[in-house]
Amino acid sequence: MSSFKFPVINPLLHNELRLKIMVALDSLESANFMYLCEITGSTRGNLSVQIKTLQEAGYLEVSKSGSGPSARSVCRITRKGMEVLHVYEQGLRRLFSERVPGDKESLQKIG
Amino acid sequence: MTTTNRGNATSDELDIITRIRGEVMGNREPTGENLFLAWGYPAAFFLLLQFVALLIWNEAWCYWIWLGTEFVGIPLMVYFLRKDYERTGHRSLNSNVILQMWIYVGCACVIGAVAMGMAGVFEYCFCSLIALLSSMGCFLTGLILRFRPKTVCGVIGTALSFVSLFFQGDLWPWQMLITAIVTIITLIIPGHLFKQYVKNYELI
Repeated sequence: MSSFKFPVINPLLHNELRLKIMVALDSLESANFMYLCEITGSTRGNLSVQIKTLQEAGYLEVSKSGSGPSARSVCRITRKGMEVLHVYEQGLRRLFSERVPGDKESLQKIG
Repeated sequence: MTTTNRGNATSDELDIITRIRGEVMGNREPTGENLFLAWGYPAAFFLLLQFVALLIWNEAWCYWIWLGTEFVGIPLMVYFLRKDYERTGHRSLNSNVILQMWIYVGCACVIGAVAMGMAGVFEYCFCSLIALLSSMGCFLTGLILRFRPKTVCGVIGTALSFVSLFFQGDLWPWQMLITAIVTIITLIIPGHLFKQYVKNYELI
C-alpha cells in the first residue's frame, strides 16, 4: 500500500479565474483592472467579484488611482498571497507527479 | 471526483499556471522610453548652467543650481510613469527594479550633496559622485533590459566620472562640464536610442 498523502489544496485558489488572477499578479509588480480583464479573458463583473473574494482573504490588495469616472483599480499580490500560491502549486505538482501513473492504471481497468 | 478526474483537473490547473505565467512574463514589451530623457535634458541643462554661472560669478549660490534638475525631473517622471501605466495596464518586476534603483540614485545624489556640503568636501568630489551614480544606474539598466547601448554608455560614463576627479582647485567648474557630458552620454544618448528601439518594437 502506498504511503502517499494527498496535499491539502486551497479551495479558494481552486477556481480557474481566481487562479489566473493570482498567477498573473505573482509575475508582475502590479496590474490594473483592464489588464487583468484582458489577460484572464473574463468579464468585468466576474473579475470584480473574484478580486473582492481574494482581497477579503488577504491575498490581494487593491488601491484606487485617480478619482471620478477615470479612477483605476490597481491590484497587487500580498506576501500571504504569494505564499499560498506557492503552496498550492507545489501541492498540485506533487499530486500530478505521484498520482498520474496510478490514474492511468485505473483508466485501463475501467476501459 | 474519481482519481482519473482528479489527475486531469490537476493537469488543467498546472496548464493554467504555466500559460498565464508564460503570457505575462513572456511579454517583453519595453516601456519607460521617456524617463531617461525626462531626467537627462533637465540634468544636462542645469549642470551646464551651473558651469557657466561658476565661470562668470563664482559665488556660493551658483553651487546649488543643479538642484533645479529635481524640480523639473520629478514632475516629468511622475507624468511619464502614469502615462506608461495607462498604456500598458501593468508594471513588470523588471520595470519596478529599474524605477526603484533610479529613485535610490536620485536620493543618493541629493543626500550626498548635502552631506558633502556639511563636511566641506563638496568641491572635491560632488560632480564625480553624480556622474558615477548615474553611470552605474545606466549600466545596470542596460543589463536588466538587455539593451547593450545603455551598458556601453554606462561604462564610458564611469570612466569619465573618474577623469573628472582630476579637475580640482581652480579647475573645479570644468568638473561640472564633464558631469554634464556624462549626463548626455548616460541619459540623453541611450534615452534616444531606447526610444527608437521601443518604436521599432511596436512596429513589429
